[in-house]
Amino acid sequence: MYTSTLSNRRDFIKKMAVLSAMTAAATMFPGILFAEEQERGLPKGGNLDWKKAPCRFCGVGCGVLVGVENGKAVAVKGDPKSPVNKGLCCVKGYHSVMSMYGKDRLTHPWVKKNGKYVKTSMKEALDIIAEKMQTTIKDYGKDAVSIYGSGQWTIPDGYVASKLFKGCIGTNNVEANARLCMASAVTGFLTSFGSDEPMGCYEDIDHADVFVLWGNNMAEMHPVLFSRLLDQRLKRGVKIIDFATRTTRTSMASDKSIIFQPQTDLAVANAICYEIIKKGWVNQEFVSKHCNFSKGSTNMGYGLEDKYSFNDKPEKISFEEYKEFLEDYAPEKVEKISGVSAKDIKYMASYYGDPNKKVMSLWCMGMNQHTRGTWINNLVYNIHLLTGKISTPGNSPFSLTGQPSACGTVREVGTLTHKLPHGVVMNKAHREHAAKIWDVPVENIPSKPSLHTVEMFRALDRGDLRFMWIQVTNPMVTMPKLKRYRDATKKEGRFIVVSDIYPTPTTDIADVILPSAMWVEREGMYGNSERRTQYFEQMVQPPGEAMSDTWQLIEVAKRMGFEKQFYYKEETHIEEIYNEYRKHHEGKKHGMAPLEVLKSEPGAQWPYVDGKSTQWRFNSKYDPACSNDEEFHFYGKPDGKAVIWQRPYEPAPEVPDEKFDFWLCTGRVVEHWHTGSMTRRIPVLHKAMPHGYVELHPEDAKKMQIRTGDAVRLTTRRGTMKLPASVNERGVPEKGQVFVPFFDENMLINDLTLDAFCPISKQPDYKKCAVKVEKA
Amino acid sequence: MKRLGIISLFAMLLISFIVIWNRSYEKGLERAYIPLEEREPMQIIPSEEGVFTRSEFALDYAKMPIDETHQRSLKTYYNNRAYHGAPPSIPHTVENERSMGGNDCLKCHENGGFVKKWDAYAPVTPHPDYENCRQCHVPQNTKGVFKGTNFEKIPAPKAGVNNALPGSPPVIPHQIQLRENCLACHAGPSAPKEIRVSHPERVNCRQCHVLNNKEVTDIGIFIRK
Amino acid sequence: MPIKSYLAHPYQGQKMELYNTLSQLEGCEVIPAENKDVLILVTDTETSKQEDALQEKLNMIKSIKLLAMVAGFNASKN
Repeated sequence: MYTSTLSNRRDFIKKMAVLSAMTAAATMFPGILFAEEQERGLPKGGNLDWKKAPCRFCGVGCGVLVGVENGKAVAVKGDPKSPVNKGLCCVKGYHSVMSMYGKDRLTHPWVKKNGKYVKTSMKEALDIIAEKMQTTIKDYGKDAVSIYGSGQWTIPDGYVASKLFKGCIGTNNVEANARLCMASAVTGFLTSFGSDEPMGCYEDIDHADVFVLWGNNMAEMHPVLFSRLLDQRLKRGVKIIDFATRTTRTSMASDKSIIFQPQTDLAVANAICYEIIKKGWVNQEFVSKHCNFSKGSTNMGYGLEDKYSFNDKPEKISFEEYKEFLEDYAPEKVEKISGVSAKDIKYMASYYGDPNKKVMSLWCMGMNQHTRGTWINNLVYNIHLLTGKISTPGNSPFSLTGQPSACGTVREVGTLTHKLPHGVVMNKAHREHAAKIWDVPVENIPSKPSLHTVEMFRALDRGDLRFMWIQVTNPMVTMPKLKRYRDATKKEGRFIVVSDIYPTPTTDIADVILPSAMWVEREGMYGNSERRTQYFEQMVQPPGEAMSDTWQLIEVAKRMGFEKQFYYKEETHIEEIYNEYRKHHEGKKHGMAPLEVLKSEPGAQWPYVDGKSTQWRFNSKYDPACSNDEEFHFYGKPDGKAVIWQRPYEPAPEVPDEKFDFWLCTGRVVEHWHTGSMTRRIPVLHKAMPHGYVELHPEDAKKMQIRTGDAVRLTTRRGTMKLPASVNERGVPEKGQVFVPFFDENMLINDLTLDAFCPISKQPDYKKCAVKVEKA
Repeated sequence: MKRLGIISLFAMLLISFIVIWNRSYEKGLERAYIPLEEREPMQIIPSEEGVFTRSEFALDYAKMPIDETHQRSLKTYYNNRAYHGAPPSIPHTVENERSMGGNDCLKCHENGGFVKKWDAYAPVTPHPDYENCRQCHVPQNTKGVFKGTNFEKIPAPKAGVNNALPGSPPVIPHQIQLRENCLACHAGPSAPKEIRVSHPERVNCRQCHVLNNKEVTDIGIFIRK
Repeated sequence: MPIKSYLAHPYQGQKMELYNTLSQLEGCEVIPAENKDVLILVTDTETSKQEDALQEKLNMIKSIKLLAMVAGFNASKN
């Protein structure tokens, strides 16, 4: 509630004086923060103890202050000292602590005995897991056990998982759900720059003049960052362009909304490059000094069949050959397939090409969950590389993440089948480096990647895989073509362990359910999208026997005879693990900040060198790892040059036809996060968004005589289901398309989606498949 | 012979000119027609678009001093309505009985401002695009009633009690149909003092403030099926 | 009765020192920036005589590299 603070004219003038000074300071120092002034506006918390943590939910990584009273978390406010969110949260963040107190919280392990779940002690459950893993390895080999984690794993969780499975047991069957959300971003970075994660940071927002959102409904999915865009628009008049397949809240807020047909973003990105070259907007000096041109294999398929494998064969090409390739992508040609007018393509190209405009491109699932996800990531980098708009404040291609530690744990710790904490399993030197720190024989680490996520569940179905431990994620809601994989888990001779905090469709298929301690019920770190590592202490006690995922893994590792490698003490294990983990990344290119720094500051950005975070990588002015005496150094590649990729447009694997005549797209809403297992237990959020729905275009709805709330039947080649319709509400898809959010476990839309994936990144495409729509 | 050569050369040139010109003319005709499906102008989503209308004034709202002596309160706000959510009646005389919004009501109620005659700030309408104002809003021409009524005015939502946690953003305790534009009623000098927002510059209101009830009846908490 | 606001730039590494000195002065309010080397200073004095005295004190402070006035008002007492 508002209370007037300006009791007289004098106070008002004083406030005006402060405001003008702040505005002046903001123009001189973009990104400046005045925490004290912000703190004044915040409610004082009585006797509350406020402790800092990164938010539990998305990958933005807002700093929050958690109010603790009598051992319970009772309130949340934005941390004004955090340069990420500057004191603001979104509705999920403000209510996040309530997700710890759902009535059906798991407090004790449950073990399935003779088809029935029996309550057991933690000790017994951990004994069963260790024993089962050992017998499985004995009977079926090392590669019959696996762990499936998540971008919600803290850094220590992922680190011990990788150490146990890759280092000690000796299998590369380590995957995480980030494969379903970030893998294309990773391969995009690796192919274009040879080094994962964004070169820029959130402060780019304070410098950029134009923002292009590539298939990213930022107003709902990254609301706090979007509020920074809106703030810049009010203060500096920046332009926001929403380039998407569906009209959303973001379109309503943006200056221009441009709609394209699914999958044709590939063509449009190429058309923008065509236009940039044709108009002579190429930054010749930058391109000749810092870029190479390459092409890769095409027509590589979609991974629909079991044991599909693909290896790209890159080939160097010349600028001339690249130009020739682009001839097919003149805006006038592209408008016919993309539905984007040549005028709009040229409009976007003109901003990218204008040397006086700083441009930031932002994207998330729209580009990553794409059967050509790596390609579209490459193509957007092409635009920034051709114009030299990269690695400088405000010029930034920026890949956003959706989970709190997708970057920190999955990408940096490397909990993917081909990765190690530093480097990849295919590289001998990298294996040696890891083995030395892990204190294991180097032969333990297999040199070949094994199963990526989709293939891991297929292997479970086939019987190649017998044991799977699932932590902090809910694959029985999120896997595409879900029915096949749900049935797989129920087959005879499969053993599934699930560590979670609430009963979910995934715990329903478990043989052992372990209760986990979440977020501030334990100690840990997350790493957000801008390479910022943030620490949180334990603030409250976990319920019942609930235990952190880190300690669950350590207990099992010890039971399997790896006491030497898992020497950690219970009181200090997080610190010990983090210090050990830091050794993997030592050096100027990826150095991580010491724990004391993380404890005292609102996070630090790697590479952390000589006591300083690095905001802009590859730029010698900011990045101490640059060593070529030039302005820029893309040191991820051996020759120090970034790659501009020739990547064509190829259609989606399943397009609407006569029988299945609509596109089906899935996604999220602002109120719910991931599968809603936490946010749905927050009454405020559940009441605001109680169930899933299917969005239709008003004209399609009219044709089929469907009104909001009517039951609609959706059918794909994989399954069928009924959902209530939503017309002209939160979002409006184009004609011939429907949209369904995936948070509702009672309406499992992933029973209908297709398990096609990007051959390079192995990330499935949840945004496109063909569906039949009927009034039910 | 020489002359013949020159003539034939010119003839050749003439013919080739005609051919080339014709061809390019035809090409030109082809290009002039680009078969492009007409796209209708941008979709508008009423419930979403409203959040951002008036946001261009957000900074002005933030800087505006508060006129303590002419503030409205929630009490007078609700008193002017038959029940909460009902269209308010017009508490002042109207100049022209046959008026439409654009020429009349909207002069003051589109953007607000101080009206000396009534010694008050004009409230801002959240739906200026509906111009036939008096289809819903009627004046109060008499204080009396024709016959008494048993209609009970249900209690209106209260301010300051809608947050789940101390300091957490309050939920929206009312339906938002026709009132999608938050800033119209929650910012500026005409906003009732209890519900005036302290941070109008945040603009994307529903990033933090969500509806407390999408359905009309209470749906309770989440239960696994 | 002037109210003025300034941006105060300290010498390198002397931000906290400057903050402490300024906040001890009467009629001064200081808001330090969290992440940059600059402070906002708001002065509020009753008479122009006091204002002059304060100016003198500000000039004496050694840790100030540059003091730039942003806004000035001559408010009457409410």
